[in-house]
Amino acid sequence: MSGGELGGLLADAIDAATGDGAAYADARSVESQSQSLSVNGPTVETLDYGDSTGLGVRVLVAGAWGYAATSKLSRDDAVRAARTAVEIAHASATVTSAPVELVPEPAHQSEWSTPVKKDPLAVALEDKLALLTDATREMGRRNEIRSARATMDVVKQQTSFLSSEGASIRQTIVHTGAGIEATAVADGEVQQRSYPGSFRGHLGAGGYELIEAMDLAGNAAQTADEAAALLVAPECPSRVTTVVLDGHQVMLQVHESVGHPTELDRVLGMEAAFAGTSFVGIEDLDRFHYGSEAVNITSDPTSPGGLGSYGFDDEGVEGRRADLIREGVLVGFQTSRETAVKVGAARSNGTMRAEGWENFPLIRMPNINLLPGEGSLDDLLADVDDGIFMATNKSWSIDDKRKNFQFGCEIAWEIKNGRLGRMLKDPRYTGITPVFWGSCDAVAGPEEWRMWGTPNCGKGQPGQTMRVGHGTSPARFRNVSTGVST
Amino acid sequence: MSSSELPVTRAEVRRAAEAVLDHPGADAVEVVIGAASSGVTRYAGSEIIQNIARDELQAFVRVVVGDRAASAATNQLDAGHMTTAAGAALEAARASLPDPDFPGLPSPAEVGEATPVGRWDDDTAAASPAQRAEAVKEIVAATAAGAAAGIYETGAHAWAVISSEGIDCFDAFTRCVMTCLADVGDATGWGDDSSHALSEVDAAGAARRAIAKAEASRGATDAEPGSYDVVLEPVAAGTLLDYLSYAGFGAKQMLEGESFFAERRGQGVADPSVTIVDDVRHPRSVGIGFDFEGLPRQRVAVIDGGVATGPVSDLRSARKLSEPPTGHSSGSAEFGAYAANIIMEPGHQDLEELIAGVEEGFLVTRFHYVNILDRPTTLLTGMTRDGTFRISGGEVAGPVRNFRFAQSVLEALANVRGVGRDLVALAPEFGSFGSTAAPALRVDGFHFASTTSH
Repeated sequence: MSGGELGGLLADAIDAATGDGAAYADARSVESQSQSLSVNGPTVETLDYGDSTGLGVRVLVAGAWGYAATSKLSRDDAVRAARTAVEIAHASATVTSAPVELVPEPAHQSEWSTPVKKDPLAVALEDKLALLTDATREMGRRNEIRSARATMDVVKQQTSFLSSEGASIRQTIVHTGAGIEATAVADGEVQQRSYPGSFRGHLGAGGYELIEAMDLAGNAAQTADEAAALLVAPECPSRVTTVVLDGHQVMLQVHESVGHPTELDRVLGMEAAFAGTSFVGIEDLDRFHYGSEAVNITSDPTSPGGLGSYGFDDEGVEGRRADLIREGVLVGFQTSRETAVKVGAARSNGTMRAEGWENFPLIRMPNINLLPGEGSLDDLLADVDDGIFMATNKSWSIDDKRKNFQFGCEIAWEIKNGRLGRMLKDPRYTGITPVFWGSCDAVAGPEEWRMWGTPNCGKGQPGQTMRVGHGTSPARFRNVSTGVST
Repeated sequence: MSSSELPVTRAEVRRAAEAVLDHPGADAVEVVIGAASSGVTRYAGSEIIQNIARDELQAFVRVVVGDRAASAATNQLDAGHMTTAAGAALEAARASLPDPDFPGLPSPAEVGEATPVGRWDDDTAAASPAQRAEAVKEIVAATAAGAAAGIYETGAHAWAVISSEGIDCFDAFTRCVMTCLADVGDATGWGDDSSHALSEVDAAGAARRAIAKAEASRGATDAEPGSYDVVLEPVAAGTLLDYLSYAGFGAKQMLEGESFFAERRGQGVADPSVTIVDDVRHPRSVGIGFDFEGLPRQRVAVIDGGVATGPVSDLRSARKLSEPPTGHSSGSAEFGAYAANIIMEPGHQDLEELIAGVEEGFLVTRFHYVNILDRPTTLLTGMTRDGTFRISGGEVAGPVRNFRFAQSVLEALANVRGVGRDLVALAPEFGSFGSTAAPALRVDGFHFASTTSH
């Protein structure tokens, strides 16, 4: 079905919804194509193509929401979805106290696309498999490596959005990524090392050029060597010490302890029953000391190359940069048109996204970026007499208010007199969010800053998985509890 | 089973599959189709905040060329889209690498014919938005002393596996799930209920449990981290079992050395009172009678009387083990087999009796944000949530602030000192073909590593 035909269905759906009494309606179609490859040693484990098209209609009737989605793409089906959404909204209105209000947003007529140099879906499959197997072959040269895996993922998504306010937006977003993972096993011990990041490597907005720049095969030997070395490395000690985190781990620290707690729907209790709420409230804006003066964090769909880089969110709001934490003070939340009303904002900052056509949009992190400070990673290490450098996220857990957290990394090294020393296995650290960010005394500079991606952020019911970006550089934290007492 | 409420009928999937089963150039073809028609009413602050209905479908076409296979998915069942998917899968399979361990597609003569479980309820499949809103009204009324948040979900789900080798499976189930978090300002409480049939879900009763738990949690005090005897309510126990299954019940994880089965198969790993089975036909399970290769889903005692007697397998891992497959393909060759319908066999004590057995310890309602720290030792971490209480002298002695735990599940199961008699099904993830049901457990020496401020 062509984009024009889908646009016609969306217009029919909006006409049907407003004709049935909706005060507001938007309709969104999503056509997605995906490719997922996974190679384990010489064996192709996953070679999947995906193709999905559908549409969803969101309406406000009597101040309450209704949403209906279908993969059936006839005019009758689109109109049926709109009428179902209106019926649902009527039911919602029987259990609401105050009508939903939306902050205004210009009715954009626009197109936006991810800049792509080399179409990742057009690259020959043989070339992709060769790139992956070159890396797994190199990792598999070590006897300790039980599993040498390489993965590649591509998603191309075309979205059309129409609203009863007159918005008409078409976006094409391309996410591409790859990674390698070596798992070493001996005597019941399992250790893993990944490159360039864990959990399917690194994904970003762009084309196949992102994968070519990774040099997976060139990094395979070191990845395998480190996994094997971890088998005999001493365990990370339980102590209170200075910790330096690499950019990948800072990414997840930002994600869990800043990104989620500053989602305004969580702050307002809308996610209370599932993902949880937040330890900060609306009353904390412009007052609460979230971290040290070294901590500056933004919500920014306009920063390039991230999994949260886009022109418009899924309720037609133009993406724009918003400060969340400025010199350690909480100054903003991620908002939607509905929740922005609750903090007296004139506009939403454009963070509503839905997974596919079948889901109701939620506040989702775009690119939540820790702004760079000064100096290199070596400069951060140089000011540590005795501490631990941890790299590459391995595990995470945080409470329902996003306060008490524990993270694990794949690998660590002692820091002695400003230099890296012995390798340590099973590094973990725990903390309380504002205390931890308050202990941040240095963030490395622009030369160390890069955009990372989290492809598996879960939220909402039904559960939605979102791809989220985080620009970070390594950072240093004092007086951190490491290890885990069992 | 009313075909008018099925999200996709057997005839529709058969027709879609027949368009590609003889795809030119393919040695064999398999089609897996999943479809759902569902509604989820979400509420928070005691009012409905999101409310959706959706019809969805996915068809996965796997094409085999010699010892190579690839798959392509589409969400349109017409012959054109199915043929395009088969063509893409064929091209990918041809470009792929030889796989000497590829087990091929099974035939019914080789693996047997699966029969449907048929856990279906017409009223649940036909539930309307107005019915879901009425249920939320009941929940809100039952929690009027606080604010309520949660979901009320109804849905109909169907799965099919059809292949050129003669596999022809179809099964459908319905599901009604409600959850309720009651918030009284300085404390929260939890209640949930689920079944394949809406009429068996007591939404108001679960809401009353949630508000009672919240009221009882007011004025929580600090407690010192450390190792304590605990009573885990069924939802908390079931969460640990879910992660145990994910961490180690699959044969692929065993073969790759990452599961506890790699070192301890056939050995005692838990107290003899602990028996954990995967059994889709258990009355508290909801799911389908076959796996994603079309094999009959067998009942497997994964831990039997404390002994590690699993794992579960798919065709590929079973062949490597030289054992019959158990019918637990997850549909992902990358992940391998998955035990999706976990049942822990109940014991003989009620919750009060389990609590009475603890001199000094804690009662845990449920856990939050659990994650695996070490797969072979099944070491997990996570938080307690929505009702954690001190036990003193065999009685509940007041609420405490939440703990972070760091605990090996197998060690906890080795320290089980009592198993509850009531088997409770966990509220499942949306659309899941899996289910978990667990009793309450009394566990000695459960490790809490730190606390939080609420």
